[in-house]
Amino acid sequence: MKNILTIFKKEWDRVIRDKRLVFGIMLLPGLMIFLVYSFIGNTIESSQNNAEYQVAIVNPTDSFQSIYELIQSSATVTVESIQTSEIDAYQQMIDDGDWQLLIIFDEAIETYTGGVDKPSVEVYFNQNKSDSSGAFSLFSNALMQYETLLSYDIYGDTSSFSTIFEGTPLNESELTGNLLASLLPMLVVMFLFVGSMAVGPESIAGEKERGTIATLLITPTKRSEIALGKILSLSVLSLLSAISSFIGIILSLPKLMMAQSMDIGIYGFTDYIMLLSLMFSTVLVIVGMISIISAYAKTLKEATTLIMPLYIVTILIGLSSIMGNGANSNFFLYLVPIYNTVQTMTAILTFNPNTFIYLIITISSNLVLLLILVFVLNRMFNSEKIMFSK
Amino acid sequence: MNAIVRVENISKTFHLSRKQQKIEQTNNPKKIAVDHLSFEAYQGEIYGLLGPNGAGKTTTLRCISTLMRPDEGNIFINENSVMESENEVRKTIAFLTSDLKLENFFTPNYLFDYFAKLYGMNDIDTRQRKALLFSKFGIDKFAEVKVGDLSSGMRQKVQIAISLVHDPKVIIFDEPTNGLDVLTAKIVTDYLLELKMQGKTIIISTHIFSLVEKICDRVGIIINGKLVKTGTLDSIIDKDIDLETVFFNLFLLESGAGS
Repeated sequence: MKNILTIFKKEWDRVIRDKRLVFGIMLLPGLMIFLVYSFIGNTIESSQNNAEYQVAIVNPTDSFQSIYELIQSSATVTVESIQTSEIDAYQQMIDDGDWQLLIIFDEAIETYTGGVDKPSVEVYFNQNKSDSSGAFSLFSNALMQYETLLSYDIYGDTSSFSTIFEGTPLNESELTGNLLASLLPMLVVMFLFVGSMAVGPESIAGEKERGTIATLLITPTKRSEIALGKILSLSVLSLLSAISSFIGIILSLPKLMMAQSMDIGIYGFTDYIMLLSLMFSTVLVIVGMISIISAYAKTLKEATTLIMPLYIVTILIGLSSIMGNGANSNFFLYLVPIYNTVQTMTAILTFNPNTFIYLIITISSNLVLLLILVFVLNRMFNSEKIMFSK
Repeated sequence: MNAIVRVENISKTFHLSRKQQKIEQTNNPKKIAVDHLSFEAYQGEIYGLLGPNGAGKTTTLRCISTLMRPDEGNIFINENSVMESENEVRKTIAFLTSDLKLENFFTPNYLFDYFAKLYGMNDIDTRQRKALLFSKFGIDKFAEVKVGDLSSGMRQKVQIAISLVHDPKVIIFDEPTNGLDVLTAKIVTDYLLELKMQGKTIIISTHIFSLVEKICDRVGIIINGKLVKTGTLDSIIDKDIDLETVFFNLFLLESGAGS
């Protein structure tokens, strides 16, 4: 136990005493994520707020104007009345991306009283341009309402049923929970992996490549103590790195989702403790797997290359949180590493009633896997073929 | 006299990859690095393993120091077998080789304390031992300088001091003066003689005849993994033939017999 602590402390000091590493591993990930996601959120928000729709209408009517003026939009809408002779010129402008929408009303649009020859409404827009499509979408709604209005004047109330919209009252917590559960599990698993990659290969493959691990293997320290000391220390460091990223994403998420009112205060102390223990048990498994690959690799470069497929698989498993609808209810699937983390985190974030059971199964399964990984790493440290291969 | 180190009929074979076979220019996927080798080393003596590159010296020393396990035979250090009581053996030996390095990021001071803890030493013993070894090798002034910023000679001295942290009974030194400047080499050889006087058992490997003649009490000549001759220097060399000539005669004989 004493030796595990000694090795733990040395691995810890190797990172903590190096200001550049502390900045690169602990602060930079969170800062970068916050800045990048906030930037993306701001850009999307400003592009939507700054949208300008220029709409030309041939034969405009007052009733149509009263309809589109009532439709709310963050875009600035300018409507111009034009003559039939100008149609070609405006269509060209739309094709060139200089104008967004052209609506041509039939002269008889409001004098039609029924019969075969229905008046027409032509709408011209450029579907290759997002602003033109935006304007089309906005005015399509207005046109539908306008059509209903004119039909009522001619035919009276033709609807066969009236629709009453009712439902569960809006639950902000559930809404926020579902939103977070669709994104956070994948991101957190990614952050845990990236954090582990930043410190794991260097500590084992790097030491092996530089010949410093042999100096350690010559001491009377048990190989299992070396394996555990390294895994525990690297796990804590990776967890700190992941927490930095986690804080970055939590701070920037409202901006990214353009939901300024998104309240992460819906989660209590117990939820955060569950999240932390889940993350720690997961990082132990990830660091264990990375350590084994690093011990197998002859060089640091080889270790990084060999770890990449595992990283890709982790991301793919992480995607299950986006594709799934809440946490999986099959208990056996909580024995599968990484997948169990993604599902349990989804359960925590969505206030699933079985969360605690999922958490217990996941942590137990991760700890059993950790023991297996430590055993394998211990065997690898004992293998001269692996440790001294050139 | 009881032998402190007993190497009993050890053999070690390596499996060569295709790449290694190309480098070694052989089609044989197996290479016998050590072939039924036996010798003993006693308290207060320096035993020298003399041989050309690739003769099996380093592999023998790695087997003695528990970094490798012999395929056959056994090695006993203070009656502890390297096969069964590895950790007991590790407590009593120091192994120095250019393959073993220190982490550049840490200072000699930090690393000394770190390894002292791994050897289970208490703080008082660690302080005393550090003061002794750092002053012996002139490390005091550089104790707080990162290993990576030290000169190669000073780095080597730090490596030696740290490997002797636990005051081992047996010191195994692979090519002790390799890569050292003349001044550091002198300090190291003088210190080996001092350790011998303190009753330590020292085994070195080298291909430098003058070093063997200067510090070794007994020598074992190793060629193609076999110990072809062992004994005191006086018993190996004649009045008219020096160690170098004896070695080359044996080498030619063994190579000829081999081919």
